[in-house]
Amino acid sequence: MPRLLLIVLLPVLAVLVLGVAPLLTVTTWSFWTWDPATYWIRPEPSLAGYGAILEAGRWTVLADTLGKGLLAALLCLLLAYPLTYAIHFLSGPRLALLLLAAITIPFFTSSLIRAFSWRLVLGRTGPVNAFLQELGLVARPLDWLLFSDFAVMVGLVASYMPFAAFPLLLSLRRVEPSYLAAAQDLGAGFWRIVRTIILPLTLPGAFAGFLFVLVMVIGSSTEVQMLGGAGASIVSVMVNDVMRVANFPLAFAISTVVLVVLLALVLAGNRAFRLARLFEDPSW
Amino acid sequence: MTCPTPSSALASNIERRRLMQILGLGGLGLAAGLPLAGRARAQGAEIAFWATATLDIGDGWDRMSEATGIRLVFTDNGNDMGPVVARLAAGNANDLFDVGGFQGGAERELFRQGQIVPWDLARIPNFARLWPLAKDMAHLRNDAGEQIGIPSVVNADSIIYRKDKLGVVDSYGVIFDPALKGRVAMEDAWINSAVFTAMYLKESENLPIGDPGNLTEAELGLVMEFLIKHKRDGQFRTFWNGWEQGVQLVANEEVDAMTGWEPIVYEGLKRGLDVAYAAPVEGYEAWGNNTVLLRGATERGVADAAHAFVNWMLDGYYGGALATSRGYIVPADTTTEYAAAHPGEFDAADIAAKAKHVADKFAGKVAWQNVRPDNFQLYEEWWQKLRNA
Repeated sequence: MPRLLLIVLLPVLAVLVLGVAPLLTVTTWSFWTWDPATYWIRPEPSLAGYGAILEAGRWTVLADTLGKGLLAALLCLLLAYPLTYAIHFLSGPRLALLLLAAITIPFFTSSLIRAFSWRLVLGRTGPVNAFLQELGLVARPLDWLLFSDFAVMVGLVASYMPFAAFPLLLSLRRVEPSYLAAAQDLGAGFWRIVRTIILPLTLPGAFAGFLFVLVMVIGSSTEVQMLGGAGASIVSVMVNDVMRVANFPLAFAISTVVLVVLLALVLAGNRAFRLARLFEDPSW
Repeated sequence: MTCPTPSSALASNIERRRLMQILGLGGLGLAAGLPLAGRARAQGAEIAFWATATLDIGDGWDRMSEATGIRLVFTDNGNDMGPVVARLAAGNANDLFDVGGFQGGAERELFRQGQIVPWDLARIPNFARLWPLAKDMAHLRNDAGEQIGIPSVVNADSIIYRKDKLGVVDSYGVIFDPALKGRVAMEDAWINSAVFTAMYLKESENLPIGDPGNLTEAELGLVMEFLIKHKRDGQFRTFWNGWEQGVQLVANEEVDAMTGWEPIVYEGLKRGLDVAYAAPVEGYEAWGNNTVLLRGATERGVADAAHAFVNWMLDGYYGGALATSRGYIVPADTTTEYAAAHPGEFDAADIAAKAKHVADKFAGKVAWQNVRPDNFQLYEEWWQKLRNA
C-alpha cells in the first residue's frame, strides 16, 4: 500500500506543482492592479483586466477562437473517423502502420514549417491555383485560398487531426468484432452498424479527440498568423499583443476566461459522454 | 571565444549571476542577501550583454577580449521590447545582465523607472566619433541632459515593391492606393505600421500630426481609423511577420508592394525578381538599436568594464564585423576608417558603400520608430480594433 501511495503521490504532486499552481497564480493575479510605476502588478483587487476584455472587440476574439476550435475539432473528427475505421477494421498490420505513419510524419517538422508549406501550396502561384487554372475552372488565381479563414482552417485541421485520430483509434479497439459480426448476421447494414454500435461505443474517444483538438487550437497562433488575413487574431496572438505592452492583468484575465470555458466544456462533455469509459476494462 | 582567467572577485560575481539564473529570484529582493562581488576592474571583468541577436558578432568578441581584457557573455533578448521591459521592471534582468542592446524608444522610460543609469561620456572617448545624427538623438538623453543610450546601429525602412509592375514608387500612398486593393501588405506591428501611416498622412495628406513616432491620442485615432477603413475595404493582402514571410510575399507574387526591411529586396533580387526599395517623399522610418547601462552593472561594480566595452564597440572593428556579417552600420566614422586601415580584415569599399547608403537615407526626412510611445497601451488597444475590424 505505501508503495502504491508513493507511485500515485509523485504524479499527483507533479500535476499540482506544474499544472494547478501556475493556473491558480494566473487566476489570482488577474484580479490584481497594474502598476504603471513598476510595469508590474500590485495586490489591490481590481476587475480592470476583465473589464478590458469587453473593449476593443477583444471578446469577439475569444468567441471567434472558440468557434475556430469547435469547427476544427469537428472537421478533425469527421476526417479521423473513416481514417481510423480503415486503420482498425480494413487494414492489415503493414498498411495500418503505414497509415499511422502517414498521419504522424508531419509532426516531425515544426508547426511553423507546416504552416509555411501551406502558404506555398495555397498561394497565388501555388500548385492548387495552378491546377485549377490548368483545368480551366478559374481564369485567375483564387485569392481566398490563402490569407483567409479557409486557409486557417486547412492549416488547423492538417496540424491537429492526429490528436483526434489517436483517441478515436483507442476507442475503436474497444469495439468487439463479435458485435459487428452479430449485427451483420442479424441483417444490419453498414450505416446501421455505424449508428447503433460504432458511434455509441466510440463516443468517449471521439470526445477526448475533440477536446484535444479544441485545446490545441485555442493555444495555437502559428496557423492564424501565417495563413490568416490582415491582422487575423486568436487568443494567443491577443495575449501576446497585450503582454507586449505589459498589461499583465488583462493577459491573465483573458487566460482565466479561456481556462474557465475549457473546464466547463470538459465537465459538460464528461457528463454527456462519460470520458471515464475510455479507461474501463471492456471485459467487465 | 578565449576567456581570460577570471579573478577571484570576478569568479564570485559569475557564480552569483549563475545562482540568480538558477533561482530566478530577481525582483524579489533576495539578491540583497547574497554577497556582492565587490568592484571588479575592467581588466579581466565579465560583461553580460543582453541584446538583439543581430548585434552578436560571435567569435568577433574575442577581439574585444584581446583589446580590453573583458570577457563578454552574449544573451539574445528576443528583440521584443515588451518582455524586455517587463523582465527589467518585474523580473531578474538587472541581476543577470550588465549592458542592454535594445530597440530604440524605451530608454527614457527605463531611466525613469531606475532600471538603467546614465553613461559617463568621459569614459567613452569614441562617442565623439559618432555621426551627428546619432550623437544628437534627443530621446537618448534624460531631462538632465545625460546620455542614457549609445547608438550601436541605425537604419531606415520604407517600401519594397515590384518595379516591373508599378514603375518607380516614391510614396507610401502606394500602400493605400485602391488600384492595388488586395495586393499590398504591412507589418503586423504597430511600432512600424502606425509610423508609416502617420508619415503618409502627415506629409502627403497634410493631416495635423506632430511626431509620427509618438502620436497623441487624437493623432493615433486618426491614423488607426484610416488603417481600419482600408482594412475593411480589403486593401491589405495580409500583415506580415518575420523575414521568411516577408520574402515569401514578394517572391511568390502575393503582393506588389509592402512596407518592410531592405534586405528583403536583396533577397528578391537574388531570386531574379525586379524588386526595388522606395525612397519615399514622406521620408524613411528610422530605427536604432542602442546600448544602455543596466543599474545592476553599477551595483556589481562592473561599470568601468561596461564603459570600456561600449567604447570598443565604437572603435571600428565591431562596425566592420557587423557590416560584413549582417549589413548593419554602426553610425560612427570609425567604421569606415577601420575598414580602410585594415584591408586584410574587411572589404573597405563594400563597408563604405553600405555606410553611405545608410547616411543618404538620413540626409532626407526620417521619423523615428519608437517602441515605447507615450500612449503605448492605447496603441495596443487600437491595434486590437484594427485586428477585429
